Amino acid sequence: MAGMTITEKIMAYNSGRDKVKPGELVWTDVFSVMTMDYLGKSTFKTLHELGKTEVFDRERVICVSDHLVPPPTPAFATMLNQWRQIVKEHHIKYFYDLGRQGIAHQVMVENGHVLPGKISIGTDSHANTYGAVGAVGNAVSVTDAAVAMAIGKCWFRVPESVKFYVTGKWQPYVMAKDLSLHIMGMMHWNGHLIYKALEYAGPAIEALDIAGRMTLCNMTVDLGAKNGIVAPDQKTIDYLRPVQKGEWEMIASDPDAHYDAVYEIDVTNIGPTVALPDKLDDVVPIEKVVGRKFNKAFVGTCTNGRLEDIAILSQILKGKQVHPDVNFILVPASQQVYLDALRAGYITDLVEAGVAVDTPSCASCAGIHTGVAGDGDIILSAGNRNMKGRMGSKNAQIYLTSPAVVAASALTGVITDPRLL
Amino acid sequence: MTEKIIRGKCWVASGYVMAYDMVVQKYWTDPVDKQLNSRYIMSGVAPEFEAENAFKNAGYTFIVAGHNFAGGGKSIEHVVTGLMGAGIKAVFADSFSRLQFRNATNYGLPFITVKDLVSVCQTGDELEFNMETNTVKNLRTGEVRETAPLAPFVLEVAEAGGLVEFVKRKIADGTAHLLR
Repeated sequence: MAGMTITEKIMAYNSGRDKVKPGELVWTDVFSVMTMDYLGKSTFKTLHELGKTEVFDRERVICVSDHLVPPPTPAFATMLNQWRQIVKEHHIKYFYDLGRQGIAHQVMVENGHVLPGKISIGTDSHANTYGAVGAVGNAVSVTDAAVAMAIGKCWFRVPESVKFYVTGKWQPYVMAKDLSLHIMGMMHWNGHLIYKALEYAGPAIEALDIAGRMTLCNMTVDLGAKNGIVAPDQKTIDYLRPVQKGEWEMIASDPDAHYDAVYEIDVTNIGPTVALPDKLDDVVPIEKVVGRKFNKAFVGTCTNGRLEDIAILSQILKGKQVHPDVNFILVPASQQVYLDALRAGYITDLVEAGVAVDTPSCASCAGIHTGVAGDGDIILSAGNRNMKGRMGSKNAQIYLTSPAVVAASALTGVITDPRLL
Repeated sequence: MTEKIIRGKCWVASGYVMAYDMVVQKYWTDPVDKQLNSRYIMSGVAPEFEAENAFKNAGYTFIVAGHNFAGGGKSIEHVVTGLMGAGIKAVFADSFSRLQFRNATNYGLPFITVKDLVSVCQTGDELEFNMETNTVKNLRTGEVRETAPLAPFVLEVAEAGGLVEFVKRKIADGTAHLLR
């Protein structure tokens, strides 16, 4: 009998089974459930509809204010007030509200609320990010989250697994985001990987820090996949040790596990990569778009708003000036990231270079506030989605790329290859 | 879902149908409510559905679509409740976004995988969906296609009236911990 992939093992062990098969519907235990300002009120309302007034474990239901903070309108301010009231009423231990906030997925990982071998869910699509530390992270709706908040369980269809085995040496200024976009262009977002568990493995993945693994796993939802995962290693142990909210064990795929498909990628051949406006999978190597003008630069989001991303910006922009035709907004992914970037001096470097730094939140990636797009804007973004209207106006164009490309291009006012600086 | 045979008119998608366009951004913060969410459902998908109740008033029972129906990564349930409020009884597609597949399952709206039904249907065609034989028939052309059978769990949830009711009963009778 063939072995199991890491995702199959996690589904099996958390549902009290020795083995599961792709396609099987199982109820599993859930280690943590995240909900946030935007959908949290509805989630708690559904909890009550289930006949429960308390959550299954007040230390494992994590509440975050990220989409609406700081509130840009009176209506959102009112929503936030109602949200705070509800969270308090349920005696939630970990409430990351304005002042201690961050984008939910960043907060979940950096505070050790997701652990290898366990399943965590959240009411936001980029909960796939949790796979970076060897967890099954899954986006669910309000109903699923409420059920998990009530009984600590969620139903899943066990996914088929697809492996990306990545070898080679990363070129300078080439980041996990470039690999993500490269895979997007290779596989397309519209079907090939739907429902699949994507496993990233190989020496080039082992070489990535947790931040890069988070970027990779984060964008698996945009590939249509169920989850993305990197098996835990020494880097995972070191990252989690000071913050982990529970015990865990190492876990990995069996050598004879079955994969629906295995793709081998040599990262040596991947340069900076760009997704053209409107379609995620309309992806080109940077050489095809070098010299194109843009007027707004954005780095932030659960995809690329981490310390390592900000470090790259500082490396490229320190002592230089953002081009006068470009407005550059940086939104760190969490207060922790912001503080670390301040202490490292990166924020000083960037403000001196002419970058506007804003309060950690989902910001314009949710199209709600903090530098939304207007008619005619051409945005070079290190975010995750470029559909029309995603960042505000439908008459804006969004290019997606890595923080390194955004920074290099911000210096010149046109899309620029950071390797040629 | 007591009816095993459903007949009605279909709307056929001409390209990708994204959750973003089914429920446009200004309604994302609305409460989840079938009637409310149905008022502007599909309003970003085609100009003819922009007006209030436009999609609902068109009187469709089924949607026929291609790959990754309701894709784009939105988890909001308004997509499914809006369709249900507008009278949709089943959606047939080559594949579905997994987030909205979950929502459909949780609310008891059948999202059914059928290969390439789009190529043999036109908007306005009468279809007959038979859940006993797992087939869908185009009554205009007589063409019959096999549908993927619904998993027993999906039917169980639908028959309970949705996941909330299904789990509520398990909590009430003290058996929720046995789910596995």
